[in-house]
Amino acid sequence: MERDNIRAKLREILELALGAKAQEILKNCSDSSDLVSDLGLNSVGILYVVIGIEEIFSISFENACFGDFKTVGDVIDYIEKKTV
Amino acid sequence: MIDTEKIFKGFTDEQTFAKIIDFDSVSQMWQNSVSLYPENVAIVDEGCSITYAELENEVALLRGLLLKQGVKQGDLVGIYAPNSLFFVKSYLAITTIGACALLLPTHLDKTVVFGCCMKFGVKALFYDESLKDNVSLIVDQKVNIALFDNNAKGEEKAMALSVAPASPSTVIFTGGTTGKSKGALLSNQAVIRGAKNGCYGIKEVFEQKLFLVLPLTHVFGLIRNLLSSLYTGSALYICRNNKNMFKEIAEFRPTTLVLVPALAEMALNLSKQFKRNMLGDSVKTIICGAATVAPYLAKEYDKFGITLFPGYGLTESANLVSGNPIPLEDATSVGFIYPGIDYKVVDDELWIKGINVMDKYLGDDEENDSAFEDGYFKTGDLVKINEDGMLYIIGRKKEIIVLSSGENVYPAEIENKIYEIDTVQDCLVYEYGQQLYLEILPRMEVVKALAIENLQSHYEERVAEINKTLAPHERIGKIIVRDTDFVRSPAMKILRGKNGKR
Repeated sequence: MERDNIRAKLREILELALGAKAQEILKNCSDSSDLVSDLGLNSVGILYVVIGIEEIFSISFENACFGDFKTVGDVIDYIEKKTV
Repeated sequence: MIDTEKIFKGFTDEQTFAKIIDFDSVSQMWQNSVSLYPENVAIVDEGCSITYAELENEVALLRGLLLKQGVKQGDLVGIYAPNSLFFVKSYLAITTIGACALLLPTHLDKTVVFGCCMKFGVKALFYDESLKDNVSLIVDQKVNIALFDNNAKGEEKAMALSVAPASPSTVIFTGGTTGKSKGALLSNQAVIRGAKNGCYGIKEVFEQKLFLVLPLTHVFGLIRNLLSSLYTGSALYICRNNKNMFKEIAEFRPTTLVLVPALAEMALNLSKQFKRNMLGDSVKTIICGAATVAPYLAKEYDKFGITLFPGYGLTESANLVSGNPIPLEDATSVGFIYPGIDYKVVDDELWIKGINVMDKYLGDDEENDSAFEDGYFKTGDLVKINEDGMLYIIGRKKEIIVLSSGENVYPAEIENKIYEIDTVQDCLVYEYGQQLYLEILPRMEVVKALAIENLQSHYEERVAEINKTLAPHERIGKIIVRDTDFVRSPAMKILRGKNGKR
């Protein structure tokens, strides 16, 4: 799957996880944005994102731990590899 | 005092209600379940199902191991393991010989694990091999604590012993939302009464299929999820990783979930996002508690054919104090106080007495002195009870805002009114600069559905209506619409002291 396509779908999931004012937070979101310190994802927010990614991209994180991903770009890299 | 046993009886058929009985101890309850339901599946963990009879065989070997090590009734034995069959076997082995299980949360580091074991005089410790590094201090210091990992297995079986009702069974750590960490010592009769209370008010409660996502070191996970499951001859599926919960729910098809509100909310939002019920069609009941349950959750889940029962409890009361069997009639109440709990309301604070109440905080005399009065445990929760006996939580004692005018404001009481706004997911009221601030985390799916463009003015209009119903000193002065979640405790409660302007 193309990177831009992945980014767009990931954004949809982040909107759900971030809830209020997601648009405002995501306005300045880039691949280098930190999932916790820039986007403010908490433990339930991260659970939303993980479940959302698995559902939308039909992939499994298997042994990968979401805590291993620091930035949005890290997540996109992982999805890109898994959807080749 | 209202006879709530009679009330709860009305929600269950007579045959089921007759099975909700008292036991002296975890040991007696467990022996009863093994005898009544030997072929029922007791636990499903990592693809492995084990029946009550099979589980008893494995527990009997661990009992033999403990007795061989010289563990006696009343001794403390630690469990330091994630949710697993190993945790369950260890807990049953410890309690069915009359020893007391000290439940150590897995996030504790090796210094704290060592410190707890030394401070409380632990005789033995069951630990998961994945946490081996965190028991290294116990090994290095050569202290006299027997260590058993997942591979530990006794050579000879030992029978479950007769255990006195008042003898200690479990120590659970609790911090509440603001306090320091304390170990609540619960007797055998306390945890069994808690498990029994979990059976009230629900039509289908025996021989069900339950699903575990909450930590077993938390009172809600241990008592309402594990012990109520074993009490009722039900099967308990252990979900090792919450990210897999929906897939595993689809495979196991549970009938009953025990959830904190944040997880119930998440399942609802994802169901709406993906336009299918993420919980599938097997779930009929959600037991929801451990934090404030927003009233809309019961109504929303009803649309999926699922009854969400809000409840109220504390670690110090072996979890279950009250349950609401009529959430669709009044979702703002935490229900009726369970039978056998003596209570009174003193200056709006709920005081409780009964066999479900803890004996004491272990090794914390200062806290014990202030926790009890006249034999009652002072819950710290400010409540109202209506003429029908329905209980409403209006705040925490420590959460009272005393205004410079000397007037008291109960923020939770105002928050309960704010929660009735359908676009509010969570909220917090606090005082800053001599006025009351309200921070709101919006429910975005409703905001989107209603196409609300200006959230600030939307909330200002709605809160202005609520302000009209409040006394002048209780009225909200400023509203802040949050774009990030509140800082929360591990149980997902909003931490008052760590949110808001200070």
